[in-house]
Amino acid sequence: MPSLAYPVPTDLSPATVKNTASLFRIVTLALISGAAIASRLFSIINFESVIHEFDPWFNYRATRVLASKGFYEFWNWFDPTAWYPLGRVVGGTVYPGLMATSGVIYYLLQALNLPVDIRNICVLLAPGFSAFTAWATYMFTKEMKDESAGLLAAAFIGIAPGYISRSVAGSYDNEAIAIFLLMFTFYLWIKALKLGSALYGTIAAVFYFYMVAAWGGYVFITNMIPVHALVLIFMGRFSHRLYVAYCSWYAIGTLSSMQVPFVGFQPVSTSEHMGALGVFGLLQLVAFANLVRSHVSSQNFQKLLRIAVVAIGALGASAFVFLTYTGKIAPWTGRFYSLWDTGYAKKYIPIIASVSEHQPTAWPSFFMDLQMLMFLFPAGVILCFRELRDEHLFVIIYAVLSSYFAGVMVRLMLTLTPVVCVSAAIALSSLLDVYLNPVEPDEEQDAVAQPAKSGPADAAPSTASSKSTSSTRGIFGIDTRLVVVFNTLWMLSFFVFHCTYVTSTAYSSPSVVLASQGQDGSQHIIDDFREAYYWLRQNTEEDAVVMSWWDYGYQIAGMADRPTLVDNNTWNNTHIATVGKAMSSSEENAYPILRKHDVEYVLVIFGGLIGYSGDDINKFLWMVRIAQGVWPDEIQESNYFTPRGEYRVDENASKTMKESLMYKMSYYRFADLFGGNQAVDRVRNQHAPKNIELGLPRRGVHVRKLDRPYLPSQERGHARAGSEERERL
Amino acid sequence: MKSLFYFLALCLGLAYAQKIGQKELIERAAAGNGVIALDAETFDALTSQKRTWSATIQFTALAANRGCMPCKQFDPAFNSVAKAWSTVSADKRELHFFATLDFDKAPTVFQKLGLASAPVVFAYPATEGPRKTGRTAPTKYDFQDGFDAAPLAQHLSKLTPIPIPYRDPIDWAKHIMTAGAIIGSGILLRAVAPILLTRWTWAFAGVILSLVMTSGYMFTRIRHSPYTGKDGSWIAGGFTNQYGQEVHVIAFVYGLLGLAFIMLTVVVPMQTSAAKQRMQIYLWTAVIMIIYSVLVSLFRVKNRAYPYRLFI
Repeated sequence: MPSLAYPVPTDLSPATVKNTASLFRIVTLALISGAAIASRLFSIINFESVIHEFDPWFNYRATRVLASKGFYEFWNWFDPTAWYPLGRVVGGTVYPGLMATSGVIYYLLQALNLPVDIRNICVLLAPGFSAFTAWATYMFTKEMKDESAGLLAAAFIGIAPGYISRSVAGSYDNEAIAIFLLMFTFYLWIKALKLGSALYGTIAAVFYFYMVAAWGGYVFITNMIPVHALVLIFMGRFSHRLYVAYCSWYAIGTLSSMQVPFVGFQPVSTSEHMGALGVFGLLQLVAFANLVRSHVSSQNFQKLLRIAVVAIGALGASAFVFLTYTGKIAPWTGRFYSLWDTGYAKKYIPIIASVSEHQPTAWPSFFMDLQMLMFLFPAGVILCFRELRDEHLFVIIYAVLSSYFAGVMVRLMLTLTPVVCVSAAIALSSLLDVYLNPVEPDEEQDAVAQPAKSGPADAAPSTASSKSTSSTRGIFGIDTRLVVVFNTLWMLSFFVFHCTYVTSTAYSSPSVVLASQGQDGSQHIIDDFREAYYWLRQNTEEDAVVMSWWDYGYQIAGMADRPTLVDNNTWNNTHIATVGKAMSSSEENAYPILRKHDVEYVLVIFGGLIGYSGDDINKFLWMVRIAQGVWPDEIQESNYFTPRGEYRVDENASKTMKESLMYKMSYYRFADLFGGNQAVDRVRNQHAPKNIELGLPRRGVHVRKLDRPYLPSQERGHARAGSEERERL
Repeated sequence: MKSLFYFLALCLGLAYAQKIGQKELIERAAAGNGVIALDAETFDALTSQKRTWSATIQFTALAANRGCMPCKQFDPAFNSVAKAWSTVSADKRELHFFATLDFDKAPTVFQKLGLASAPVVFAYPATEGPRKTGRTAPTKYDFQDGFDAAPLAQHLSKLTPIPIPYRDPIDWAKHIMTAGAIIGSGILLRAVAPILLTRWTWAFAGVILSLVMTSGYMFTRIRHSPYTGKDGSWIAGGFTNQYGQEVHVIAFVYGLLGLAFIMLTVVVPMQTSAAKQRMQIYLWTAVIMIIYSVLVSLFRVKNRAYPYRLFI
């Protein structure tokens, strides 16, 4: 009978303990789901049930089409108002998973006679799926360690800001359901690998298909699973379980993923997917070699076989290279290539480089999003190395790859978060296992056994030895247990406070509606975006084309319901560059461009009065850069800087800058607001220019109509008389 | 009749002057290895209002007392592009010129053009003849892709009658170094194979990689952040900014905290003496509390609005 540090009841039957633990697990998971959903509702409570940001507006609009006209209409939907005058084939250029999911929920609720508005389904889809994500993470971590680690991981991912940032209520984007699918596909893969089960492999393939239909980030799974399989092969851990799991996943997953129109034949024709195909081929070779080896005993033949396998492998690899070279296989697309060659995007695809979520990540963002998980994460990876079962390799590879990706791009923090939660949960749960175990080691007996070991630090390398002696190892005393457990509890509760704070302050702003704090702490809601779009909706003809920078395209289409030149689906660089050129040219040069595109309204966001730093003047250099990429002779970035290389908007601004349409529209009559005093741009902290002859300044947002008979020569006389002004202040 | 004669003579004279101008420019270019060394007078000739040729002019200050390091960096690249152009067949070559104007030779030109910094590259299009574009003003080459020759050649090829046949010189030293490194690492690999095959080598490498990446290493690489601030401070203010040294500090802090947890989980339970074990537990718990507090206070430096603080 070992000595115990604290008394435990002994009169309970094992069945009672088991049932109680199971009940606790269910209740805990339910509570975690509740916490995950609740912490994502800050945005509704602080603002209202509204769709956030930019892309969600398109998804919402598409979902409305799906809900009102049915799936078939949605599939064939051609949208003539986007990318005017080109139009957009929406059904074939969209990942339909998200819209289909909310459409199914909508029809289901209708069938149950629950008339829920489609908007509320869209707004609440992400919080709902976060509960599923917590459950999927629980299942995944359970395969790595045990149920208690699973519960910790579920709690972590439920409230970690790194995941909340993309899944608050109203953030109706592909990521809302994609992280659940990612984790669940990984869980099924691990399960299939462990059991060698074709059934689990097939279910993994089905969820992989769902993931492909839902998010472009499915490529992460497409490469993650093959890398795992490849490492297993190289480590000599090839098994028939691996063969069955991989082949069933790959064959069914690839065939089904090709059913998504937007993906089409990419799985067999682009470099991103070639890794998976290559590993599939390699597995066949290795399996065949193993089969032959088990039947033939001759040493020489085995040598020959090995050479043959290597030769065929090399031949296959060179065939890939050849096909890529001749163009049969498309090379890595710029988006993925820029992950490896980090200077590539800025040089060749400024549209990708210009997006704020594609910027590299500084360390405060990591700490903000994951806090203490950040340093539990390496500890968990070490513990995975300690056991190093097949599934632990998956976590290790995932950890290393995704920490690199998250460092390169802020938005990929989202793929890092699950593995950090899993790994940190393994570390913390291992710690608690040791310190909550009531069994005390026997001091004398250990002292005798100890000399056999050279030292405690070297004991880690072999799991077998640590396991065989684990019964004699442990913690002495009760105070030591308490100090560690209380320290852990204290850290966990600090984590909860941190997550709540970050979620409520940083990640719950819809960015369509802004909030600012007054001097006395009172909150002001700045709703200028929606008012401007609403103004367009009310005061313009239905077919009036609105030109704006591409950021606002989806919102104009969603809220104002007007045709736009460019939007957030940045598929046509030339068209975007045309808008950039119009914005950065002088009025004389911009006007013909506007006329050619039937533009009647130009929308410019200006934040100089209230200090909203995400306005168009701050984005202006990207417009110039993108325009320069297409018209290097006409638009040149250096012309927009002062001779000393500064980006200024005051009287010292360069001539080209002062003449540009964007500049004029932004500062037109801005100085009037200050009633004779020196006008100050509060974003750039510079004096604003006076006497600008075009553009309508308002608090935050201006909408300006270009009158139809507007000609450059008439500019002075007609600029104000012929324009419709929107007065508000 | 007489006036007509004068007129004809004038026309001929003008044409003649123009001819001489281009001829002389061709000669000077040939003499200067493809680059014309300009002064104020030849600058006016080269950029005359009526030119059937186009030109690329580098405005620079190469004199040692000017101390213009970028000028010295860029000059070889410009010359090698010009040299590549001089290999083009004569009929095309004579339609585009490369020239260098040093500040000390013609400060007046710099003043006239309002140039306050160097190096600057202007590309003058042809204003007459079959290649005229309708524009007379020069375009400026921005050094967005650095001072390398290849992007310059690529940019200027839009202006020249045929693309500039510039190729980066083959860097033999680099190739030999790479080959040597591959062979060397191959030999080394055989020697250290036993180390490579232990899992702890990989664990160490993987964890170090994760730590460095999550401490913002890629940020400093992509944004070219300095190692420390100009005033010697090692931590940059601002949430989305950081110096190179912060990577080391934060990676070390994360690593130390992770180590403390590994110690508590794996190593401390192995301890056979109760007293020693108790001491270790208190020690590592204290390390966690203190270092964690330091980490939070560092975070408060970056994010001033952060409301929480621990013991520090």
